[in-house]
Amino acid sequence: MWNTIQCAVQGRGHIKTETPCQDKTYALFKNDIYAIALADGAGSAKMSHYGAEYVTKQICEVLTDDFDMYYAEEDGSAIKRKIVNDLIDGLQKIAINYGCDIKELASTLLVAAVKDDKYILIHIGDGVIGYLKDDEIKIASHPENGEFVNTTVFVTSRDVLHTMKIIKGKLGNIHGFALMSDGTETSFYNKKDKLLAPALKKLMKLSQIMEVSCLERETMKSFENIIKNNTTDDCSIILLVEEDYSFHGYNLLPRKEKEIMLGYSNALLSKKRMQRFGEILNFLVFPNTLFSVSRKIYLKKKYTMKYIDVLLEQNLIVKNKEIYQTAVIMEK
Amino acid sequence: MSSNMLLRVQDLVNNPTPRVAICLCLDTSGSMGVVEGDCVETGETIYDDGKTWNLVTGGTSRIDELMSGVEQFYDAIREDEMAVYSAEICVVTFNDRATCVMDFANIERQEDFPELIATGDTAMGEGVNLALDLLEKRKQEYKDKGVDYYQPWLVLMTDGEPNGSPGELARAIQRTTDMVNNKKLTVFPIGIGDESDMSTLNSFSPKRPALKLKGLKFREFFVWLSQSVSRVSQSTPGETVKLDIEGIKGWAEL
Repeated sequence: MWNTIQCAVQGRGHIKTETPCQDKTYALFKNDIYAIALADGAGSAKMSHYGAEYVTKQICEVLTDDFDMYYAEEDGSAIKRKIVNDLIDGLQKIAINYGCDIKELASTLLVAAVKDDKYILIHIGDGVIGYLKDDEIKIASHPENGEFVNTTVFVTSRDVLHTMKIIKGKLGNIHGFALMSDGTETSFYNKKDKLLAPALKKLMKLSQIMEVSCLERETMKSFENIIKNNTTDDCSIILLVEEDYSFHGYNLLPRKEKEIMLGYSNALLSKKRMQRFGEILNFLVFPNTLFSVSRKIYLKKKYTMKYIDVLLEQNLIVKNKEIYQTAVIMEK
Repeated sequence: MSSNMLLRVQDLVNNPTPRVAICLCLDTSGSMGVVEGDCVETGETIYDDGKTWNLVTGGTSRIDELMSGVEQFYDAIREDEMAVYSAEICVVTFNDRATCVMDFANIERQEDFPELIATGDTAMGEGVNLALDLLEKRKQEYKDKGVDYYQPWLVLMTDGEPNGSPGELARAIQRTTDMVNNKKLTVFPIGIGDESDMSTLNSFSPKRPALKLKGLKFREFFVWLSQSVSRVSQSTPGETVKLDIEGIKGWAEL
């Protein structure tokens, strides 16, 4: 089973000009196929958020309907033409509905789809596609910007086929894909060295031990408070990560793995302290305050806080105002 | 704040802000000494920049207004949180010859603007060629350092007819139009006052007509220009910036 985590936030520039968030993400699970897509509507095109929304949904529908056909076709340029023509046809209809030129619906497009042991990736324009292989984050497709940072290729561009990338293959040791818009690139992609930030691996690994809804909520919070401040652009990300089948919850982990998860891989952790961490995590499955935790484990608040800090640092619990809650899956 | 966040600053990368290289290519020929407003003729005349001029006292010269406009331009950029990190400005002046009076720098690190003195002829071609050379050089520096950048800007401001080398002028026009047509340069040719040669200025701008300031509205021009810089720096990869022609109409004749 594969999990999806997605988040899109309106950039500061667009808040200032009251322009809607033009980054769109979409995920679809159908016919045993997982598909995720992300599109960044062109800032210069007024209706691009509609275009971005359409292409993300449509490409996921197309790939979940005909994954095998696309995967089997060896003629890559024929596949590119078919995909682009299909999207353009749909965009033409939307343009007619809105009474606008199709260029007003311009957006980039990034896609990942997985079926059994096979995957397909599609990339038009800027943004980055990363993947997790052998516990390492790698780049599948770099941004396509041309000489200037404010130029790229869109689904609707005349020369789209020249730079459009399609990739397919066997998953092997690949356990996750990440699609990012250019706004997210600012914080996640080192443009000079062409490397992805450690944050991406962190998110992917967390998706294997955290409740998806909790991770999505926390990711959104980080995007709103940190990622967004590094750019004026909209920021979005969507992840498709395979479940870690060996993980059955914190409570069922062997002691050594619990220590690693608590950040004590190289330090000694007494049985007593280990037990307290477990007690707190199980207690905070239901949201509660520091005071309640302190009473539960019979420890003064200032000492309880040290345990809480460790758990927060390791992202095993989350804090919302003064309420704490366990984020890691305790049992499944 | 960030300690309570899932993602922390140390988990992220820190990319340099994409830059907009701007070259202000300013006419400092003798005709920029023309005074407008309340002034009194002294009865004396001088010959400069190909013409005979009456000397006056009082009033405000075009060059003084240009200077105060440039200052406002810098102030406006300083006040804009996006433009202040993106814009890198250099200044080229031209009279008998072209001179780079300020090299590219982020506005926060730039030295004080030098005093401009109106004197000599109008070597416009030489000025523009120098400005284009400097913009090219700056782009190469961005490339070498792995810094993203937008199309550079050339702001050409003159109140007079070019009377430098015709060959240099033709070369400057050719280079500018080629770059604009290839979307490698954004150019703003601005005619100042009644003396400006709009046909020459238009030849620098293949995509839209040169602008003529209504009188000496430098302040408005620089405020508008700084807003436009902000717009470029807000624009995102994937977006070709549309210049706000509507914004120009308020203060200039197209």
